[in-house]
Amino acid sequence: MSLVSNLRVVKFAFQDFFRNFWLSVATVSVLLLTLVSVNMLLAVNFLGQRALDAVKSKIDVSVHFKPEVEESRVQTVKITLLSLPEVRDVEYESPAQTLENFSEINKEDELVMKSLGEVGTNPFGSTLVIKARDIENYPKILSALEAPGFSDLIEDKNFEDPRLMIGRIESIASKIQWFGLGASLIFGLITLLIVFNTIRVSIYTHRDEIRIMRLVGASNGFIRGPFYVESLLWAFLSLGLTMAMLYPAINFLQPFIQRFFGTDNVDLIGFYNANFIRVFGLQFLVVALMSLFTTKMATGRYLRD
Amino acid sequence: MIRFKNVTKTYPPDVVGLKSVNLHIKPGEFVSIVGQSGTGKTTLAKLLIAEERPTKGQIVIGGWDISSIRPSEIPLLRRQIGVVFQDFKLLPKKTVYENVAFALEVCGASGKKIKNIVPQALKIVGLQDKADRYPRQISGGEQQRVVIARALVHRPKIIVADEPTGNLDSLNTREIIDLLKKINEFGTTVVLVTHNREVVNELHRRVITIDRGMIVSDQEEGKYVI
Repeated sequence: MSLVSNLRVVKFAFQDFFRNFWLSVATVSVLLLTLVSVNMLLAVNFLGQRALDAVKSKIDVSVHFKPEVEESRVQTVKITLLSLPEVRDVEYESPAQTLENFSEINKEDELVMKSLGEVGTNPFGSTLVIKARDIENYPKILSALEAPGFSDLIEDKNFEDPRLMIGRIESIASKIQWFGLGASLIFGLITLLIVFNTIRVSIYTHRDEIRIMRLVGASNGFIRGPFYVESLLWAFLSLGLTMAMLYPAINFLQPFIQRFFGTDNVDLIGFYNANFIRVFGLQFLVVALMSLFTTKMATGRYLRD
Repeated sequence: MIRFKNVTKTYPPDVVGLKSVNLHIKPGEFVSIVGQSGTGKTTLAKLLIAEERPTKGQIVIGGWDISSIRPSEIPLLRRQIGVVFQDFKLLPKKTVYENVAFALEVCGASGKKIKNIVPQALKIVGLQDKADRYPRQISGGEQQRVVIARALVHRPKIIVADEPTGNLDSLNTREIIDLLKKINEFGTTVVLVTHNREVVNELHRRVITIDRGMIVSDQEEGKYVI
């Protein structure tokens, strides 16, 4: 088709969009709902991942050594532990630091503080705070600490198995993901039906024009073209509206989310900005292909040659 | 110009539209196809513009065999054949000028070409002064003239008019037939499908009579015989 024809196809598409304005609004709204649900799914996925990371980063094993164990021996244990492939980091706390931390944590507990005062001296030995590379590595590290060379130096090990909590978070995140996926699929299916019917109504509205176009020798591409352009217009508009709604919503929610996680690292806006082309490009591609596919079906069915 | 070779058209299950029709229309002829309702006249017109395909036989237009024409070639054929129907098929929200221009617009003609051709076509049908009117603001005869103007913009070699006067009174009918004669005088082949006895008898041109899908009479200067 010539440039003139292509421009006319675009003109006819816009004319049709405004002639069936409320129908266009309904179609764009359903596409918008689909995109909003997809983005909610994406945000939940991102936040779920951050929640897991936050929990995982807080997990460690505190190994309290007997007070009589010298620092040099503790440092040897530290070096030995660091040589294990499962260990990511080992932090040494001197007895004084351990006492300070303990006092800080229990400063409200009068009984504990009183008992500590009665002891007179620092009852704590050194502490090693061990972080594993992966949550699954902790049992192995704990068993390494049971070795005869280490176990007689250690007074206590403080480790609460976090896998239960992680399991719960993963389960909730997974359920939300499935729900989001289900909602997106349902909206997607509704979208296909709505787009199909909109094109059908549009063809019906234009039946006289289409008949005349055929009679006077318009090509099939010219007759069908406006419907394809219109469906691209819907995809473009719905994505634009999604972005126009999404950014203010995230802007509003971001402080609450960061307060909830207790860290500024959870940056949803940053995530969208960093992945802008990938996230919205892909969404446009999927919605546009979905609309074009449905348009092809509808025109194939109702615009037979 | 137009040649039907043993053309048969049947509709499922076994309704016969045309049966073994052999026909040759020479360039520049004015031919009336007559017959009672349901005898196959419109089927013949639809076969000419490839709206239907023959079940058997061959249709050749200007050396082009359109019996098994590809869908992508149909628009090219239709730009060479102007079509005028009984129901005017004008777009009510477009003016006379816009209705005529529409035929060129949808075929990719440039704005300059449209501005050049549309006034000429409107002048031929005598509607140059009513270019800005909407179809509801002009008479039935004038509406049919707009359709003829629209059929003329591609400068077709053939005009197929299927009952063009079916909805018109005698005065408007005469005007339309005179216009078709004028177009024929310019060298365009006109195929007029009608069952209007008076029109056919006053034309004194070739008349092909169809009955039950078959040609029963073909006279060089004929009359309506059924």
